Amino acid sequence: MAFAGVLITLLGFIVAVLSVAMTSSIAGRMVVVLIGIAICLIGIIGVLNRAFLKNANWRR
Amino acid sequence: MKKTILLITVALSARLAMAQAPAAPPAAPVPITDADLKSVAAPSNDDRLKGDPGGAITGTVADIAVADSKKGLTVADALNQVGQNKIAINFVWTLVTGFLVMFMQAGFAVVETGLCRAKNANHTMMMNFMVYGVGMLAYWLIGFAIQMGGVGGNGNLGGIQPLNTEWTINLFGKPFGLFGQHGLFLTQGGTYDVGAMVMFLFQMVFMDTALTIVTGSCAERWKYVAFVVASFFMGAFTYPLYANWAWGNGWLANLGANFGLGKGYCDFAGSGVVHAVGGLTALAGAMILGPRLGKYTRDGKPNAIIGHDIVIVLTGCFILAFGWFGFNPGSTLGASGNGNLRIGSIAVNTMLAGMTGGFGAMFYMWMRYGKPDASMSGNGLLAGLVAITAPSGFVNTVGACIIGLIAGVLVCLSVEFIDRVMKVDDPVGAISVHGTNGLWGVISVGLFADGKSNYGGSWNGVNGSVTGLFYGDASQFVAQLIGVATLIGFVFTFSFVIFWLIEIVVGHRVSARAELEGLDLPEMGQLGYPEFELKARPVGAGA
Repeated sequence: MAFAGVLITLLGFIVAVLSVAMTSSIAGRMVVVLIGIAICLIGIIGVLNRAFLKNANWRR
Repeated sequence: MKKTILLITVALSARLAMAQAPAAPPAAPVPITDADLKSVAAPSNDDRLKGDPGGAITGTVADIAVADSKKGLTVADALNQVGQNKIAINFVWTLVTGFLVMFMQAGFAVVETGLCRAKNANHTMMMNFMVYGVGMLAYWLIGFAIQMGGVGGNGNLGGIQPLNTEWTINLFGKPFGLFGQHGLFLTQGGTYDVGAMVMFLFQMVFMDTALTIVTGSCAERWKYVAFVVASFFMGAFTYPLYANWAWGNGWLANLGANFGLGKGYCDFAGSGVVHAVGGLTALAGAMILGPRLGKYTRDGKPNAIIGHDIVIVLTGCFILAFGWFGFNPGSTLGASGNGNLRIGSIAVNTMLAGMTGGFGAMFYMWMRYGKPDASMSGNGLLAGLVAITAPSGFVNTVGACIIGLIAGVLVCLSVEFIDRVMKVDDPVGAISVHGTNGLWGVISVGLFADGKSNYGGSWNGVNGSVTGLFYGDASQFVAQLIGVATLIGFVFTFSFVIFWLIEIVVGHRVSARAELEGLDLPEMGQLGYPEFELKARPVGAGA
């Protein structure tokens, strides 16, 4: 689960970088980069952090 | 009568003709010759022997270095002196501002220690103290070469031509600079150079600022040996990589030249490079370490664990605000030439954003909780300073105030989110102050840059001034967003993997017994306050 979170976060970065090659339109690039940032945040907050919370010391 | 009319007509015609005649060309400038210079009189020895209380005869033609004493003073000597004076001004400016940034380590040390419990005072101070040396060693060995080894020179500091080898790959038909290759040990590749030394000092203290952010989020439960290893890797690789991409002629800086995105990624003094890198690494560390014992109840509700000395916390905030006058204005890397007189504007932006950040946090806490919380007001000041760091060189004072005000509120919201929703334990609020507001600072360049700055007519190799979305350039905003995605997507991931490897090899967390006892004795062998009897206050009490 944590490993998946790391991969998703990295994927978001790659999507953002690919934006410069996908289109030359500024609006188009902005949308793709924002999608990339959203993927990054999902990776960190939604997947990675949740994986750590499952085994958090305060649950024991 | 006729004669009079005739005379008037002639006079008017003559006057009109004179007015229409082309103006005489201005006299051609007369070149100064060596002979002219010899006619400039130096103060006599007799005059000098009387002393110079008014300062009128100190610093004259007599003080210009002469290359050939037989020839005497020449035009070449005078011009060389002018050039050296410009570089000397820039050297002194950059060094002195670097010294101010170095002193920020003291500010971070007391802020973090004050926000931690007395039983961990020695441990927290020692981390903040030794991160300076550990980071410096790593940066001297390899970090500086990775970051600046391919920057391609700097006109303000006399060229620094040896820093000219960037390792690049070709992507989408364009070169993507990834890391520099000159400057190992500050000798390799011709970097035993006066300009390179100034550049190293200034960049080193910036790197150390990023490293010390992590000690805050991981405080009160971090093994000292794990801290040393993590700090070394961050100073050697994590920080220099992103700094190269943004400041060292890397691919982010060239987004403008290669893909038409504004002036490329712009981060004047390091909201992203220093603070977001530090804040996101702090997040990775705090997630892997887990919360302190007692921070959360069994049903996940957070307990407040208050620090032991609010006096030194706010004193530390003042020290940091003072040091920030080195951080931002110093990032011009000079005070003479190339639009560097903007240092006054940068300094004023810095102080204004810090002020509005403090106000934003104070009023938010006052309205939400009924009291103007001292530690959050301090964090608000720091958040404003962090946020203005990237845009300080590109925005006006109104923009600076808005950026700071938003940062002050944002830091409070972020602390609540990280504490209550993510349940990541950050004893000093480092993730919110530096991570969240570092990202906000990067974004704010793309919004508020007013297009009035002019640092030699171009930025990142693209002609014109940095201009944000609110002033008509949406493409600059996109470049900034790509920087944000790189910080969250790459820097966080890279830091997380390094912390994970250290967890496997060394282990990050101290034993539960050591944590409950306080880390001063088990980790450092000495109490921070040996003459005081420390009584444990129940977690959550007094908050």
